[in-house]
Amino acid sequence: MEAKGTGLLAGGPRRRIIAKLEVKGPNVVKGLHLEGLRTVGVPEVFSREYNLQGIDEIMFIDTVASLYGRNNSFDIVKKTAEQIFIPLGLGGGIKTLNDVELALRSGADKVAVNSQGVRNKNFLREIERNFGSQCLVAHLDVKKKNGSWIVLIDNAREVTDLDAVEWAREVEGLGAGEIFVTSVDKDGTMKGADVELIQSISSAVCIPFIYSGGIGRPSDVTDVFLKGGADAIAISAVLHFNKTTLKEIRDEVSSHAISIRL
Amino acid sequence: MTIEKISHSQKKNVLHGLPEKVIFCKRCVMSNQRPSTSPELVKKSSKIDTVHFDDDGICHACKYSDEKKKINWKQREDQLVELLDKYRRNDGYWDVVVPGSGGKDSAYVSHVLKARYGMNPLTVTWPPHRYTEIGWENFQDWLRVGGLDNISFTPNPKVHASLTRLAFLNLLNPFQPFIIGQKNIAPRIAFEKKIPLIMYGENQAEYHNKLSETQSPIMDRSHYTWDGERKLFFAGIETDKLSEFGIHKKDLSVYMPITESQALETGIDIHYFSYYHNWMPQENYYYAAEHTGFKPNPERSEGTYSRYASLDDRVDGFHYYTMFIKFGQGRAMNDAAHEIRDGHITREEAVALVQKYDGEFPAKYFQEFLKYINITVEEFWITIDNNRSPHLWDKVGSEWKLKEQVC
Repeated sequence: MEAKGTGLLAGGPRRRIIAKLEVKGPNVVKGLHLEGLRTVGVPEVFSREYNLQGIDEIMFIDTVASLYGRNNSFDIVKKTAEQIFIPLGLGGGIKTLNDVELALRSGADKVAVNSQGVRNKNFLREIERNFGSQCLVAHLDVKKKNGSWIVLIDNAREVTDLDAVEWAREVEGLGAGEIFVTSVDKDGTMKGADVELIQSISSAVCIPFIYSGGIGRPSDVTDVFLKGGADAIAISAVLHFNKTTLKEIRDEVSSHAISIRL
Repeated sequence: MTIEKISHSQKKNVLHGLPEKVIFCKRCVMSNQRPSTSPELVKKSSKIDTVHFDDDGICHACKYSDEKKKINWKQREDQLVELLDKYRRNDGYWDVVVPGSGGKDSAYVSHVLKARYGMNPLTVTWPPHRYTEIGWENFQDWLRVGGLDNISFTPNPKVHASLTRLAFLNLLNPFQPFIIGQKNIAPRIAFEKKIPLIMYGENQAEYHNKLSETQSPIMDRSHYTWDGERKLFFAGIETDKLSEFGIHKKDLSVYMPITESQALETGIDIHYFSYYHNWMPQENYYYAAEHTGFKPNPERSEGTYSRYASLDDRVDGFHYYTMFIKFGQGRAMNDAAHEIRDGHITREEAVALVQKYDGEFPAKYFQEFLKYINITVEEFWITIDNNRSPHLWDKVGSEWKLKEQVC
């Protein structure tokens, strides 16, 4: 694995830009610090639009699945997979191997697991054994506390005493193929990424690392890649609210000689 | 004060003046056992008025939310501008009092009045019993980021704790002293500073008072004034008798309402902002986060799923928990009912949330609460169990179970 986070290796491996669609029932919602359920549209429209603009992947997160103890997003993934042929991920409320199977059968290429992995580490290992690490994304919602970051579960409603960086290392060992970290402090603010967090995670793990939270301008994405060293960025609010476009982001990022899909 | 345990079988079937038959609103999950807001200082016991339901099984708060859809909000905003023009001053003095704690709702109202309508608000705070860390930060940011003047009145904490203790033991309503102070402080400051306009956030009808109360933008003066003669009660105890508990007249002045004649002299009126603008707590959250630096709780509050409401007081959980014991409806039900009416969640989701969180014990600050009101764990549980009404609660083995649950 190449060294990350120095900015000296601009160019380097191809970085990905992912659209994150937080789903509640039939709608896409966007909160602030993962709180609030403001409806911003429907998943079909967003995924079609972002696909047209050339997004690399789409990650659906069912925001209430853990909260209500159920997952209703398989149909949304299914409908999307019939029309769009880029990688799709599904997270939120994945609790059993059956859920994983349902997600994959619906057309998801991978599942993102947070709460259930924290409650039962073995679950991550079982997914890896049964389906392979390529489809297992370890999903971490993290919040800054006393100079480091703690892991939150149930859509950031419950705190744990897990240190985010240590947990990131651990899930890598448990067989995760990718790690997906959302900064709860930055989520929805559109005021810039938590670069320090990105640096800490990217220097701790070797598996591909997707960061999400706080993107407000194209240059914030450059920071995520160049200063932070993440492999991929998952974006939501700034695209949903049309504050910028994928084209603007790609133009800005590629002007720094960062390799992306153009 | 010694507390005697009352056996469940010896109680009257229905306590607290509740309706005997439990009904959950067909639309929003709210129970008909929920109290409606009424003046506190005349209450001699834990007997309360409850929310209003029509025969069709739908509560008045839902009926009001139907009415709200017909309101011409543009016209209402014009009315607001007209009102503000009447009170707006150009000599630099404050022209509106906004009571609040720096939570999302008061942050929204005060900031909008200042930024959008060019008013010069004086915010007035009756602080929490015990600030949470996030509550204190939000209070400070409200003023610092929002750029607002504030008077925060701290009542004598010894007296406040004693009154809270009595209200817990006598009425199982530990928040009564806070509510009394919170209600009366803004009119008092308005009277003393001669600022006749007070702007509240939401009308109580948003939370289940009578539909008829929504027709006026103005709060009835009986909620915050008295005639200067009528007997008043704290924790169900007549003010003269409070000296038995070491609480004297001089300790109570800040809790007292202003008199009707004082209100008339200054021309004080309390208007509801929710009359003039469509009141959506969730939108207030987004607004406050953007304009006054408001932050949600780092974790959900015990007893509910929400992270943005009622998070500034460490003993707050006991307000909702005691409600749950007395009325069989707790904090998650309050939150979920409102979110259904605002179209954020479905009834099915609300039922799941209520079943998951309603009545969760506020363990986090339990020891602190006991110490604060100076009672033992035994006294706490005896008081709790004494207040469980037999028409709501059954004891199954060693566990208390609600007889009726929303589904």
